[in-house]
Amino acid sequence: MSYLEIDNASIGFGPPNNRTEVLTDVNLSVEENEFVAIVGFSGAGKSTLISLLAGLTQPDKGEIRIGGKVIKEPSPRLGIMFQNYSLLPWLTVYENVALAVKQVFTEYNKVELREHVEKYVAMVSLTPALDKKPSELSGGMRQRASLARTLAMQPEVLLLDEPLSALDALTRAVIQDEIIRIWEDDKRTIVMITNDVDEAVLMADRIVPLTMGPSATLDTPFPVNLTRPRNRTTLNTNPEFRRLRNDISKYMVNLNEESKASSDTEDVVDLPDIMPIDFSVYPLQPARGRRREAFAKVAKVMDRETTFFK
Amino acid sequence: MAEKTSDKIKYRILRFLDVTGFAVFDPIVRLCFGEDPKKQVEAIMKFIVIPIFFICFCVWIWWTVAPQHKTKSGEVPTPDIVKQSAAINHQFAHREDTKESDFLLVGEERAATLAEVEEEIAAASVILAEREAELATHEAAYTAQLEQRLAPLQAKLDTLKDANRTVAAEQKALIAAEAQKIEAGTGSTGALIAAIRTESASKDKGRAAETILKDQIDVIRSEKYKPMEAARLAVNAIADQVQFLNKRVDMLTSANRSIKVAAANDKLAETEAKLAEATSAKVALSEAKKLVRAEDSLERLEGQQYAKAMTVYLQVKRSLFTVFIGFIVAAVIAIPVGILCGLSRIAMACLTPIISIFKPVSPVVWLLIFQIVVGAFFPDPESHPFFLFFNSLPIVGDLGINPALVFSGCTVAMCAVWPALVNTALGVASIDKDHINVARVLKLNFWERLTKIIIPSAMPLVFAGLRISLGVGWMVLIAAEALSSSDGLGKFVWDEYQNGSSFSFANIIYACFVVGIIGFFLDRMMIVLQRFVSFDDGGTSL
Repeated sequence: MSYLEIDNASIGFGPPNNRTEVLTDVNLSVEENEFVAIVGFSGAGKSTLISLLAGLTQPDKGEIRIGGKVIKEPSPRLGIMFQNYSLLPWLTVYENVALAVKQVFTEYNKVELREHVEKYVAMVSLTPALDKKPSELSGGMRQRASLARTLAMQPEVLLLDEPLSALDALTRAVIQDEIIRIWEDDKRTIVMITNDVDEAVLMADRIVPLTMGPSATLDTPFPVNLTRPRNRTTLNTNPEFRRLRNDISKYMVNLNEESKASSDTEDVVDLPDIMPIDFSVYPLQPARGRRREAFAKVAKVMDRETTFFK
Repeated sequence: MAEKTSDKIKYRILRFLDVTGFAVFDPIVRLCFGEDPKKQVEAIMKFIVIPIFFICFCVWIWWTVAPQHKTKSGEVPTPDIVKQSAAINHQFAHREDTKESDFLLVGEERAATLAEVEEEIAAASVILAEREAELATHEAAYTAQLEQRLAPLQAKLDTLKDANRTVAAEQKALIAAEAQKIEAGTGSTGALIAAIRTESASKDKGRAAETILKDQIDVIRSEKYKPMEAARLAVNAIADQVQFLNKRVDMLTSANRSIKVAAANDKLAETEAKLAEATSAKVALSEAKKLVRAEDSLERLEGQQYAKAMTVYLQVKRSLFTVFIGFIVAAVIAIPVGILCGLSRIAMACLTPIISIFKPVSPVVWLLIFQIVVGAFFPDPESHPFFLFFNSLPIVGDLGINPALVFSGCTVAMCAVWPALVNTALGVASIDKDHINVARVLKLNFWERLTKIIIPSAMPLVFAGLRISLGVGWMVLIAAEALSSSDGLGKFVWDEYQNGSSFSFANIIYACFVVGIIGFFLDRMMIVLQRFVSFDDGGTSL
């Protein structure tokens, strides 16, 4: 039996007569200390999936188990890192992390608490910003603060909901390395949601594609057999990396086209066949001599009966 | 780290201006530190100089338009008169303070002050005499020139009156003759009626001519003779001063507390001596009774305070106290109820009708209701423990807590509770869903959720609501005080409206400025508080 299991989970929203099935019959099993990436398009239901894993929402059908136990409610064991940071803006970075630590390690005294918080803030290289409020931080720093808060709870499973999507490419790379380093130092199970195939290939042990919604489900996983540590600079020339990336990309593009094809059959709107008129024959100065002929030609083209819709 | 100290000071000042909402003065500070002078001067021109010109323009309009409008209470006062009324109010307050300190002076200090005051009286009396003489010369001059100008007109009027009288007599004789003719059978009724008509027409004509002359005389009489007016004002001012100094002498001598206490002590000693000498039971009894009375009165005298008249500053103090009482009561009710409404949709549904119906009710109605309802709790306010307690407190007691203050405070609270309540409910209800999710993941219990997530996140909106509440409260208070006769700025305005002295109208406008300026500072105070609790660094509207 796997460590973290999704067993035939389905969930939908809306009243019975106008129901949108978001996820249907999702199955996934994650081994202990495995790094699983879930890739999918926007709106496919990725965030819903992570909410299910975190216990923030309950499936309509099926169940989600951790270590054999059904997840009924959110708990600090399942450390979720939200897509939009979710730092409390009235607290400093230290206070944000400390609030989480206090809840998990109730037995800590003040000194232990401080040490613990500082250790995790240092882990995401945010020590200089310890006493700053989130509004004074850049996007990347906020993301790291959020990561520090999640890690400081020492969760058994780390659930990352598009942790890097709001960041610029450089910061993204830095935090990717940060997450990989932390994962390698301090092995634990990670489920990461992303829409970036490269990122998934770089970081994960296994990549699970999520099909297009509605009624999305998880498809056959792609195992990533690249050796670690993976070097992002040489990875681009690695044939295995390129093959995997191509496969997944092709699969994703197919998914997209299939979903388009299925929607194409419904309504087709006829667009007018519009051709632009060639205005280059317009004279720039008052016409004289040969130009006048050209002008007459244009006038003919612009005749009342000629429309833009030929 | 490499910042210069001057830069540090500059940014500290700029930050202070920003927080207090005086960002307009930003360019002046920057200019003082020599930062980009051209840009700063431009900003100063645009946002300080032009507004100042506009304000001056408004004042100029006031100055020119006000005297044009004649009212029952005299002309609409111009800015200089309002300024004068402010000065008069200030002087009055200052004099009251002086009298109070005189009342409490003892021993040599008292004697020294008394001597000083008497010297002042002597000096002032000399000036008074001088000024009175001056006034008398001006009055004589005025009367003389008035006589001179009026004499020809008066003579004209007299001759006209005589002429009119003769004409009237002639006409009367004519009418009588016509009547006689009818009696004799020679006249006609037509001629008689014609004669009567002619008489009344000539009477009217004569009267009209008289009226023209009389009007001319009135105009001359009502013309103000500037030097005399000025002299009269000067005399009044110094006479006022003398009166005040005489009052001070009173306060330093017969009305002085220490003097009164000394007199009472003497009386007490006398009675004690008499009691000791008493031989008969009757005398002893009466002397003992006297002694007890004298002791009581002595005790009362020792604790006596100067009964200060209500000055405008005292009114301001009392108004501020009342508004804060009302505001605190409103906040204490509104915040918990607002949180409850924000948390529970059932509570919100229960309270929405109540809020919607009572929010628009006029403060005047609330005041009347509170006078009846709350008034019932204090049938005898003089001896009610509630008032006895508050009036025995050191600073608060000086303000004179009475039922009227309680009613005004309750009215303020009632009207100020709504904005704070609605905003708190909104703040709590509109909490970010992500923050709730954080709370769920961290498994915070209800109390921790409330104190660590919900209240801090609602804080900016709560304070925005409190700011509106304080503004509403201050506005309502003035009306409530006017109506309930609770000492304060509202009563000040009402009294001025009622008493109709020459400065009443100016005093009302002065009070209008006082109320406005205090309201402005209260609002600024709330802005600063709001800034401190808001975490998003967003600006607050001014």
